[in-house]
Amino acid sequence: MEEKKILELYENRSEEAITQTKAKYGAYCLSIAMRILQNREDACECENDTYMKAWNTIPPKKPSPLSSYLGTITRTLSLDRLRRKNAMKRSELVWVSFEELEECIPSDKSIQEELEAKELAEYISTFLQSLPKHEANVFLNRYWYFLSIKEISEKYGFTQSKVKMMLSRTRSKLSDYLSKEGIFI
Amino acid sequence: MKLDKLLDAIGMVDAELIERARITPAKKSKKRHIRWTVPVAACLAVIIGLSVFFSLKGNTSPMILNTYAIAQAQYPETAKYPTSIGGLIYSEADYDKWREDVAKRRSYMGQGENLDLFFKHTASEFLKNCESDNLVYSPLNVYMALAMLAETSEGETRQQILDLLGAKSIAALREQAHAIWNANYCDDGAVTSILGSSLWLDEDFDYNKEVVSTLAENYYASVFRGKMGSKSYNKTYSEWLNSQTGGILKEYTEKAEMSPETLLNLVTTIYFQAKWDGEFHKENNTTNAFHKATGDVNCEFMNQKITYGNYYWGEKFSATSKSLKNSGSMWFILPDEGVTPQDLLKNEEALSFMTDPLDWEQSRSLKVNLSVPKFDVSSRINLTNGLQRLGVTDCFDFTASDFSPLVGNSQPAEISAAEHTARVIIDEEGVTAAAYTELRLAGAAAPPEDEIDFVLDRPFIFVITGEDALPLFIGVVNNP
Repeated sequence: MEEKKILELYENRSEEAITQTKAKYGAYCLSIAMRILQNREDACECENDTYMKAWNTIPPKKPSPLSSYLGTITRTLSLDRLRRKNAMKRSELVWVSFEELEECIPSDKSIQEELEAKELAEYISTFLQSLPKHEANVFLNRYWYFLSIKEISEKYGFTQSKVKMMLSRTRSKLSDYLSKEGIFI
Repeated sequence: MKLDKLLDAIGMVDAELIERARITPAKKSKKRHIRWTVPVAACLAVIIGLSVFFSLKGNTSPMILNTYAIAQAQYPETAKYPTSIGGLIYSEADYDKWREDVAKRRSYMGQGENLDLFFKHTASEFLKNCESDNLVYSPLNVYMALAMLAETSEGETRQQILDLLGAKSIAALREQAHAIWNANYCDDGAVTSILGSSLWLDEDFDYNKEVVSTLAENYYASVFRGKMGSKSYNKTYSEWLNSQTGGILKEYTEKAEMSPETLLNLVTTIYFQAKWDGEFHKENNTTNAFHKATGDVNCEFMNQKITYGNYYWGEKFSATSKSLKNSGSMWFILPDEGVTPQDLLKNEEALSFMTDPLDWEQSRSLKVNLSVPKFDVSSRINLTNGLQRLGVTDCFDFTASDFSPLVGNSQPAEISAAEHTARVIIDEEGVTAAAYTELRLAGAAAPPEDEIDFVLDRPFIFVITGEDALPLFIGVVNNP
C-alpha cells in the first residue's frame, strides 16, 4: 500500500493503518532495533512500540517520508531501551560507533553554547546537507543505521578502507563545524 | 552524557537525509548488464544438457516426465522477494519489480465470492470424520480439480460439477478458476503457494488436444499419457507428486501408483510455505499437556504476546488469527468446552466463520497471549464418496459419465481415484503447507478484558487463508 494511503488510514483512525504499516515498514523498523539491541525480543517490542507511537502521533503529525519517521521512532526507542537495560554494557556494534563519535565532539569548550539534542540535530542536518551526498549517506549509514564498515562498502561499492577514510574525515569536519558554530554538547 | 546527546541528535536529523541514506543505489551501466546476460544464458544451456545426460542414466525425472507429458504446466515467473527488503540494504529496482508482481497478483483477487457454499459444504463433508485423527483439506485445491474435471466432461456430468461449484457456465468457471489460481500462486522466495493439478491418461486413450490445451493454459494443469500400471509411468507419477509438494509428502508419494485398470486419474496437490509476521521465539516455548480426546500428551507450545491481536467469537467457539508475512493469515478456532471440532464442522455459524473469517462482526482487537502447539499434521482424504454425497455422481460411473470432450464418444471412462493429500507444519518461523486454543473464559461471549490468554491445548480447527482471503487449508488437529 502506498504511503499516502497508509497516512489516510491513520487520519481516518482505521486500525488497518497499523497492519499496513507493519506490512510495509515492519522489517525496516525491526532491523534498526535489532542492530541497536542485538536481541530479538527487545527489538520486537520496540518495533511494536513504534506502531503505538505512530498511532498516537499521526494525526496531528503528517510525516513524510513515513519510513524515516518510523525509523527515527524505532531508533530512539531502541537506544532508550538499551540505556535503561544497562548503561555500561552497550551492544558491541553501537559501542564501536560511540567511540568513533567521540571524535566529533569539539574539545574547546570556552566559547561554546549548550544546546538541546533537537537544536543540535538542526545543526548536524545543516552540516550533512553541505556535504557531498555520498559522504552524508555513508555517515548516516554508520551512525544512524549502525551499519558495519563492510556493509556500507557493499552497499555503495566502495572499498572498506575508503569508507573508513570518509568516516574519519566527516567526523573531523563535524567537530570543526560544531566548534566554529560555538556548539557545546 | 555527551555521546548520548550526540547520538540522539543524529537520530533527529532531517528526514530526507535519513531516507536518502536508506536507499541502496541502483546498479548502473547497461553494458554491464548485457555482458552478464550472455554467460547466464550459456549456463542455462549447460544445465539443460546435464539434465538430459542424467536422464539417460535414468537418475532424474525431467526426461521421463517429458516422455509422458502431453502438456506440462508452465507457471508464471515471479519476481524474487529481495532478501533484505524493508531492511537497510536492498535495491529499489528489485523492490519495484517485486511490487509489480504483487500488484498483478492482486488484480486477480476478489473472484471467489460465490464460493462460500462450496467451501462450507465440502469442509463439512471432507472433515467430518475427524473424531481422533488429524485432517487437512484444501478447499481451493479441490475447487481447481473439479473445475478441471468440468472441462473434460459434458452434459449432466459437467452440470453436477458446475452446480456444486456454484458456477453459471463453463466459461464463467474457467475465467474464475484462472483468476483464483493466479491470485493464489506465489513463488517469490518468501512465500510459496503452488496449486498443482494433473491429469493422467492411459496410452490407449484418444484424447482431445484442445481440451488438454485448455487445461494446461487456464488451469496450469499437467497432462500425462502412458501405460497404466507400468513401473516407469508410476515412477513418473510418484516423482511429479513429490516435486509438486516440495518433497514433504514423500511418505505418501513414494507409494503412489496407478493400477492397469485406471483410465483416467485426476490428482491435485497444494504446497504452501510462508513465514509468520512476527516469528515465535524458541526460548519462549514451553512443554505443556495437550488434552486429546483419548488422554493427555505432552507437547511443545509456542508462546507469543500479540499486542494488536484479534479475538473472534461465535455461539460455540472463539478464535484468533496470526498474520503470515506477505500473505494471508492462519486462524485458530477453539471449540467451547464440551464442543468438539466435529460439532463445529456441522455448525452453520462456525462454518461461516471458517470460510469467510475476515468480515466477522463479533470481533475485537486486544492483546492476545497466544499459546499454540507446534504441529505437523497430514492426511489423505478420499474425495469420492464425499463428492457423490454432494451430488457429483456421474463422473464416477462409466455408464453415466460423459467425458466426450476429452476422450470422444467411443471410449467409456470414469474417475477411478479422486484423492487429496495435504500436510501442514507450523513452527517458530512459519507455516509449511498448513493450529488450537483454550480460552480461560467460556466461549460464546465477548472478552471482558483488553487482554486474553488463548491457549490451544485441546483439539482445534485451523484455517489458512491466502492473500485474497480464500481458504487454502482447513484442518483439524486432534493430535499435534
